[in-house]
Amino acid sequence: MKKILLTIILGVSAVFAFAQGKVTLSPASFTAEDEVTITLDVTGTPLAGLDDIYIWAFSNDGVGGGKDALTNGQWTSSSNDAKMLKAGPNLFTFKFTGTALFGQSPSELINFGFLGKTKDGGKQTPDYKPFKFDPLVFVPSQFRVFPAKMDGTDMTTVYFQQNLATDVNLMRMYNVKVNLTFYDEAGNVAGSKMGIVAVRESDVLYSLSFIPDRVVTLPTGVKLTKFTYQFAGSVKDANGADVATSGPVNEVNYTVFN
Amino acid sequence: MKNIKYLLMATCALSIWSCKPEKFEPITTDVNVVKQMQGTWTLSSVIQVDEDAKTKGFPYKQLDVTNVYPYKDLVLSFQGDAQGNPSTFSITSGNAPRITELTSGNWSVDNGQAPTNIILKNGTTQSLLTFSSYTGLKSGKLNIKKVKMSNGKVILSYQYEFTKK
Repeated sequence: MKKILLTIILGVSAVFAFAQGKVTLSPASFTAEDEVTITLDVTGTPLAGLDDIYIWAFSNDGVGGGKDALTNGQWTSSSNDAKMLKAGPNLFTFKFTGTALFGQSPSELINFGFLGKTKDGGKQTPDYKPFKFDPLVFVPSQFRVFPAKMDGTDMTTVYFQQNLATDVNLMRMYNVKVNLTFYDEAGNVAGSKMGIVAVRESDVLYSLSFIPDRVVTLPTGVKLTKFTYQFAGSVKDANGADVATSGPVNEVNYTVFN
Repeated sequence: MKNIKYLLMATCALSIWSCKPEKFEPITTDVNVVKQMQGTWTLSSVIQVDEDAKTKGFPYKQLDVTNVYPYKDLVLSFQGDAQGNPSTFSITSGNAPRITELTSGNWSVDNGQAPTNIILKNGTTQSLLTFSSYTGLKSGKLNIKKVKMSNGKVILSYQYEFTKK
């Protein structure tokens, strides 16, 4: 009985996953001024088997300041500029540049999302979002990494700029340490190390430089796809005793170099 | 009067005949880069450069990571044949992080006179290093670079400075 139930659950999950369609962006990372090609595989979606598909795109999902793409047209009558190019059975592509598609400046564009639809809006795919634009303008923040893009074999330095902290505990945190977790291609934890003492570069800046395989023992042949880092430490309570505190967990995706 | 005329003509002829392009000596002596590369080198500095940040003019462009791990343990050896042509190489990392996936094999350059790329090969595996500059070679410094690219765009590089043993 258990086996049958498991099979049903797995089957339903597989159908659901397949029904989402598949999106590939080329290049994988891009700024709002780069030309990007979206490739959408509509297999398993309500658009499967159709020849004419239109993109409905929107910017800055969930972060404010969003706009519909200038090419969208009306929901019940997509503009011809939104028509995706058929590249094969169930496969469609669309080329765009963020600033031109949304009529927004690079500093305004944070991410974008889209869906595929029929011209009259009778059928559609789910939303695919959010896809981040690489910043063209440097924005100081309490947490940052150097370099901005790296793979799992590179030296990476994580920083905590304490004078930019917005949380009271983080502003007062001392005895600063770093927690690192590395993930493989399946999204499983490949290794983690907690409480690595951070380097105090100045009164307001803490850092930690590392190469993953120097921090944790990785299984042979494992390919890392991302890591998370978290700054943690202590603050004094009202009685002067040390109390543990920590910042948010920050996720960094590894870049695939070629 | 006639003699003076002939004398003047002869002087002019001699002056014209004596004109020839002046041969300038080279400003510096020839640098045989390939030959000067040969020998044993120890890694003395590693600078990580965020090329993307550099392009965008962001404030954090490079970081000296030499002392994060014992990079200075790394020894690189370029050997040449009897004619001074590139032959074999070896990289002994010690406790230093690896700078390429290869530890030994054959090396070559893309241009014998003015090389830009150093090609390391072992079987079918190949690794590419590029010259940062030749200027240090005479004083026993080898400056090379490893570049990482994504979709044809240079994203990250490591600048390695070696000192001749």
